[in-house]
Amino acid sequence: MKTETPQLVISRVFDAPRELVYRAFTDPDHLAAWWGPIGNSLPRDEIEFDVRPGGFQRWTEVNAAEPELRVHIHVDLTDVADGELLEGVMHVSGRLQQGIEPFETRLRVEFHDEADGRTRLEIRQWLPEHLAHPSEEGWRQAFTKLDATLMNVQAVAANHREVEAWQS
Amino acid sequence: MAGTDQLSAVFSALSDPTRRAIIAELAARDATVTELTAPLSISMPAVSRHLKVLERAALISRSRSGKWRASRLEAAPLREAADWIERYRRFWDSSLTRLDAHLAAVQAAGPATGRMVDDPRELE
Repeated sequence: MKTETPQLVISRVFDAPRELVYRAFTDPDHLAAWWGPIGNSLPRDEIEFDVRPGGFQRWTEVNAAEPELRVHIHVDLTDVADGELLEGVMHVSGRLQQGIEPFETRLRVEFHDEADGRTRLEIRQWLPEHLAHPSEEGWRQAFTKLDATLMNVQAVAANHREVEAWQS
Repeated sequence: MAGTDQLSAVFSALSDPTRRAIIAELAARDATVTELTAPLSISMPAVSRHLKVLERAALISRSRSGKWRASRLEAAPLREAADWIERYRRFWDSSLTRLDAHLAAVQAAGPATGRMVDDPRELE
């Protein structure tokens, strides 16, 4: 599991020292200032951080544009190196967008020094288990849908032949 | 019965590494034969043959319109995974753009803003 290739890899350089970029991820006031798309907000009294190996980061996300949603994020930190690395399993639950079930995703964020006091962020994220390895049930549903499609195609073809026979 | 036949067609289609590479490309976006040929470094007719196998297994569909037929990933579980990755890519993209602006603002404000003090002695 640990060695599996991440499905999402993002690399980005910031014009800021590494310690500051690291703090942007590990200080509640910092994280609340930028996490999520514009309009996303993190109620301050629902942010709880205990950043250390075996610790956690918890917060809630709300968005004025979608008041019915209330997303709970709970990251179990498995690996932490001060100023260098954050790794953990992110649990996403709460009132999520329609069609999205609660899920877990493994996340790794590395902070690297770049020239001229800049910092390179390396983000790696792994698909939730049920999407990375669809269960037999997942595949079965997919194929039931495909079978239905194929049967429709055959039915249309059969009708077509009948019409032709009738016309000739 | 159809289900069993379908499943063997899928597994046989996925047993080939080139076809898995094609699936991975199509997970990111729909693509034409030409677009698929470039990253795979095999001939266009070879790509076409692989696409026919994937199409027979109903893992992909191909648009009928126009001169350039684009292939599209069809298997629902694979599609769902591709959609998930795309959603998170957008999430990170907008978050990191905000982070960039936040870091610039913090640095412009300078060390006077208590929390940003690097040297604890400055707090005294």
